[in-house]
Amino acid sequence: MKRRDFVKYGVGGLATLVVGSKMPWLMDNPAYAAAQTQNLNFTITDAVKEMVTHEPGNNIATCYFWIYQSNSPSFAPDCPGPQIYTTVGDTINISITNALDENHAFFIPGVYDSGPIAPGATVTGTFRPSRAGSYLYHDNLNPPVNRVMGLHGAFIVMPPNLQGTRAQGVHRLTPYDRPTPNVQKLFDDFGRAPWWPGLAWEQGDPAANPPTPPFRQYVWLNHQASPVLFEEVGNFTPGLDYSATAFMDGFINAPFIATNNSPLMQLTVPPIALNPIFNKKPHFFTISGQSGHFCHNHPAITPMNRVGEPCIVRIMNAGLWTHSMHMHCNHHFIVCVNGRIQSNPIWVDTFTSKPMDIYDMVIPYQRPPDVPNVLGIGRADISPPLTTINGHPTWPPIEEFNVYQPALGTKKISFLNPLVTVDIGQRQSPLVYPMHDHSEPSQTAQGGNYNCGLISGMNVIGDRNTPLYKNFPRDADWDLMLTLGNGAPVDKPGGGNNPP
Amino acid sequence: MALPKSGIIIPRRSIAGMEGMWAKMWDPPTTSPATPELCAPTNPVPAFMQSIGLAKVSRLNTVQRELIDGVTITGWDGTPLTCMCLGDKDIPLAKGGTYPAPTIRVPRGVVFHAETVGKGPPPHTIHWHGIEPTPMNDGVGHASQEIGQYIYQWQPNFIGSYFYHCHRNTVQHFEMGLFGFLIIEPPDAYLGGNAGGYPRRTAASLAAFPQFPGFVAGDLASGDPHAYTVPYDYEALWVCDDMDSYWHNIIGQEAKAWYPAILTRPGVDDQFWHGHFHDFNPDNWFITGVSVSNAPGVTGTIPGGVVVPAALNSGVTGMQVSINATTNNTILVRVLCASYNSMQVTFPVDVVIIAWDGRALGVPPLTRYNYAYKVPANTPIRYSVARRIDALIRTTTPVNSFATVEFFNTRGENVPGREQIVKTARIPINIL
Repeated sequence: MKRRDFVKYGVGGLATLVVGSKMPWLMDNPAYAAAQTQNLNFTITDAVKEMVTHEPGNNIATCYFWIYQSNSPSFAPDCPGPQIYTTVGDTINISITNALDENHAFFIPGVYDSGPIAPGATVTGTFRPSRAGSYLYHDNLNPPVNRVMGLHGAFIVMPPNLQGTRAQGVHRLTPYDRPTPNVQKLFDDFGRAPWWPGLAWEQGDPAANPPTPPFRQYVWLNHQASPVLFEEVGNFTPGLDYSATAFMDGFINAPFIATNNSPLMQLTVPPIALNPIFNKKPHFFTISGQSGHFCHNHPAITPMNRVGEPCIVRIMNAGLWTHSMHMHCNHHFIVCVNGRIQSNPIWVDTFTSKPMDIYDMVIPYQRPPDVPNVLGIGRADISPPLTTINGHPTWPPIEEFNVYQPALGTKKISFLNPLVTVDIGQRQSPLVYPMHDHSEPSQTAQGGNYNCGLISGMNVIGDRNTPLYKNFPRDADWDLMLTLGNGAPVDKPGGGNNPP
Repeated sequence: MALPKSGIIIPRRSIAGMEGMWAKMWDPPTTSPATPELCAPTNPVPAFMQSIGLAKVSRLNTVQRELIDGVTITGWDGTPLTCMCLGDKDIPLAKGGTYPAPTIRVPRGVVFHAETVGKGPPPHTIHWHGIEPTPMNDGVGHASQEIGQYIYQWQPNFIGSYFYHCHRNTVQHFEMGLFGFLIIEPPDAYLGGNAGGYPRRTAASLAAFPQFPGFVAGDLASGDPHAYTVPYDYEALWVCDDMDSYWHNIIGQEAKAWYPAILTRPGVDDQFWHGHFHDFNPDNWFITGVSVSNAPGVTGTIPGGVVVPAALNSGVTGMQVSINATTNNTILVRVLCASYNSMQVTFPVDVVIIAWDGRALGVPPLTRYNYAYKVPANTPIRYSVARRIDALIRTTTPVNSFATVEFFNTRGENVPGREQIVKTARIPINIL
């Protein structure tokens, strides 16, 4: 894949608004459908969304939502609303129109509050974010109903002075204006300390294939969706707010229903009756609006970097259920929790995302430390490396790279054309690792269908610190994934090709 | 379905060109591959267990695991609960599976092999939570394979607390009991006279806490097996778990409950079911396999004097659940949240948190950014599923009390007026 192809196909990804100061590191990344603007212009409206297990004619899996839609720049509507990136001190003009039947709002805690916007009305305003960090913009009226119905999105404020000339200072840039000493020490060590060889967080590598952006960062906006409850809200009396108490009773405490439509369950003793009815608890779970394959295999949601390319992830929860976010492959440092930059950033494999919590974490992107090595203390081998029974180095795992599971030659019928077959063999390269909620009910869709839930990951596409293996081998579908499919235009949602 | 006022439909994204990734995501292949990058295993624990008569090693330096074995345990009211468990064919006491699975202890730095068979019915996997190897050894089906048969290979690099579990249809398999604890110990833990007992050592950085004798700093890279470790005289393991008896006794009979399937045309004729695995309602609680008494919502206690047999603890005698210890001794408590709900643990004494998730705090260079810290007595420590702490206790005055573990409904946490404690468990602590 030539480097210029990344720019040409560069706009098929996750809807992203860059307000104010330019962010070339974001605009050039093909995984983001990013548009620059000086003004935010949103409509509050509604939509029906086809969910992860939706198979037209076979399993109509849809859900009603309230959404923030960006009018200009124009993005395809989705829940959550577009990610918004801005810089400390930038002035943002905002205009919000309410196209629904009851009062709604646009609220960023500590930053901007539209106040109630009446049905049909438009509210305009201006604000300047003053503190770098991660925020959730949302509708704070009739809490938590309006927010949980889908009126939310990520609002990211970057610290100032990222652009332009900057001398190689004593300290590296961090995502914060005033990091704690320990957080500063961590960002200083990336790329300088011998135990974190590679790039600093602030450093990119435009010559790499695909190019490595500086300031690598991701947003995991967790949510839960209840089609039964959201439909009831959508059909409620126009002009009246749905009771927040009744909403939470349904979403959190709805009585158990033995939903079941599987013929296999007829074989249990006693058999479990067919029952198509779902209760009001959510049965879809999303990260940045997607579930299963659509978030796990999305390069704007799931980090796909090389060893030596540390990144940050900003994790939010717009719903009412806790998610316990477990990452494989690397432990991560918790650097900011609910606006408090950590004096004691612990290094964990799992952290807690409670409703309305926001936390930032740093993935060092070290070589997975429990691959056999000489020292056995989590450090990469220098020379000579540990060798296997066959006399090969244990890293990179080139024997593993050449395994296909399913095997090459496993054929199915193409999604686009029933007359064409596709080979669904999958190479064990690059290296794929999941990040999932360990409170496992959220890993389901429609009460089953494990692995169609709230899941992301960290993929290792190469190793900066091992000669000849800056890139691990990639098949065609990997290249497609990294560019999100054949030049989809900016106004289409991301995560694969355009819908046919 | 509510019709949108706007008329907007948000279509599902296409999977064209990514049919293989789509298919593998939730219908991964069942294979039995050879272990790539195979090294010679050097784990001394199986041979040690054989030397004290607890095991008969079938493959040199290799741990055996099979899953599943069906095991019936008893709930708080005497109701039998059907569980899916991991077994070890080399250890008679573990041959038919146990809940939880036997605790695996491994010295840091060895090449670890687990010869694993999926059965009853297959496929299954073992994921070693917190251990970080290559994907084929990581035990996640959609990133590698479900088995079959396979030798998992990794080398533990960080001393601390971990666990292992099946990662196939995890929502069901983990809840049904397919997990056990995993402890990484210093490289010399199984050499010398204390191999089968105490005191033992674990990773810590305790210059700021001189009340714990025997802490050694030094330099990890020097090869000193005791660098940044502290000895402990007593050890307690609290695997805090919950079970939904409906999931166990009704759904548990069907191991493929609501498992999706690729038919002939991915994205077009896939088979997705409707079920109720989104809706978990525990009515039984366990601490390291010990039933917590009393009904949901009613505080329950586990008995005193519960000890884990050496055969189920990699040959180490004396690991406790309920604590019986003496003053002026160091007690290590490992606390895992293995439920699907969140929990908070409250100790009746001061503790020092020395590690989270198998990473000791303040051990240079990789954790020079953080530090061990004291949690005063009666301060709740709250965390969510799969997280675990290592806590040190050392007191000069006797204690005759309880730790409490409160389980929070994962639905409604942090929501004003909606937080719900579904169960409180008490664990006896007696320090004389």
